[in-house]
Amino acid sequence: MTTTALPLGPDPHPSAGPHADRVLVVTPSRCSGCRTCELACAVAHGRQMMPARSRVRAYSLGEKRNIPIMCLQCDSAACARVCPVEALVRSAATGAIEVIQDRCIRCLACIPACPFGNITIDPSVSRVVKCDLCGGNPICAQFCPTGTLVFDVPRR
Amino acid sequence: MFLIDMDGQRLEAAEGETLLTVARRACIEIPTLCFHAALSPHGACRLCVVEVSGQDRPGSRLVTSCEYPAAPDLVVDTRSEKVLRARRDVADLLVARAPRSSAVRRVALSLGVEKTSFEPDTDRDNCILCGLCTRICARLGHCAITIMGRGSDARVGTPLDGPPPGCVGCGSCANVCPTDNIPVAEAGGKRTIWDRSFDLHRCTMCGRAYITKEQMEYRARASGLDEGYFDLCDECSRRSIASKMLEHVL
Repeated sequence: MTTTALPLGPDPHPSAGPHADRVLVVTPSRCSGCRTCELACAVAHGRQMMPARSRVRAYSLGEKRNIPIMCLQCDSAACARVCPVEALVRSAATGAIEVIQDRCIRCLACIPACPFGNITIDPSVSRVVKCDLCGGNPICAQFCPTGTLVFDVPRR
Repeated sequence: MFLIDMDGQRLEAAEGETLLTVARRACIEIPTLCFHAALSPHGACRLCVVEVSGQDRPGSRLVTSCEYPAAPDLVVDTRSEKVLRARRDVADLLVARAPRSSAVRRVALSLGVEKTSFEPDTDRDNCILCGLCTRICARLGHCAITIMGRGSDARVGTPLDGPPPGCVGCGSCANVCPTDNIPVAEAGGKRTIWDRSFDLHRCTMCGRAYITKEQMEYRARASGLDEGYFDLCDECSRRSIASKMLEHVL
């Protein structure tokens, strides 16, 4: 019995995209806790105004203590390391780790393994989901009214 | 990269790709029950047959598209009368084997098979011996279940028909089963599968659980991650990182 994964096939995004040098910059001091990012994400990924489907979660932990928490696209990502079927892989175009839904077997090991809690289950479709940077143009950053989430070239 | 002819379209294919992969990329629908992208193809259900010709060989032949490698100058027909007849025959047999499975009935209906022309086998469960459960179990390194018996007595079973010692209770076999034939129950902090009960690995803050203790230990060992990675659930991890980050930046 052979039990190796299928070859990946050609990369659908062979060359790095136009925004490959950009990252999602989070500035919590600007966050008002309005949770527009959650709605934008839910609509972008599920076409539903349903924050439970969002890949980003905004937390309000007191007066002027708000922060959106989302995937950091870690270099050595625990989720990708723990996945037994290589269903979590980094996209060459965006640098984001994406869930290959066809390959996912819903063993759910990645959910507790992520130290930042950024892998969740989309309750509407019962699938494991995470931030994929919207294929290279994050909707949350476009809708963030305070500039907390900005998709830009990082300042070193 | 090279081109193949599929249903009159010229489609790009790469070395090592199967006809099914090429077809699905072009949104050409081919029914399957035993195929899963996490596993190498198996060719058990025979629903994905297509007719191939060309390559300087006379005539045409039916092949399983999940296994057949794309090659230059191949001419593929996924909807020919020969293909549809073969798929209908397979569906007819599958409905007879698992008449209560909605997945099998759905595939059969899509091929125009409303009821089986054989005696439906209502005494047994819905297993169609596609091997997805045993193959995924082997892929994950557990090999807790296997297909045993031969011919019409073949079935998926555990060592000595008891609770499988190699099982970690991850439930992947049940998740990939196309006919939902593997029962999993979760209650009182325990998951029961294959007549074996597993303690769930609970979040140390809120008690929520996604995986079993055995699964956690196995995945930690296999990935080289410390078991501490699995302490918190997603919600509690986010909350704790939110408060830590706010402490540092504000």
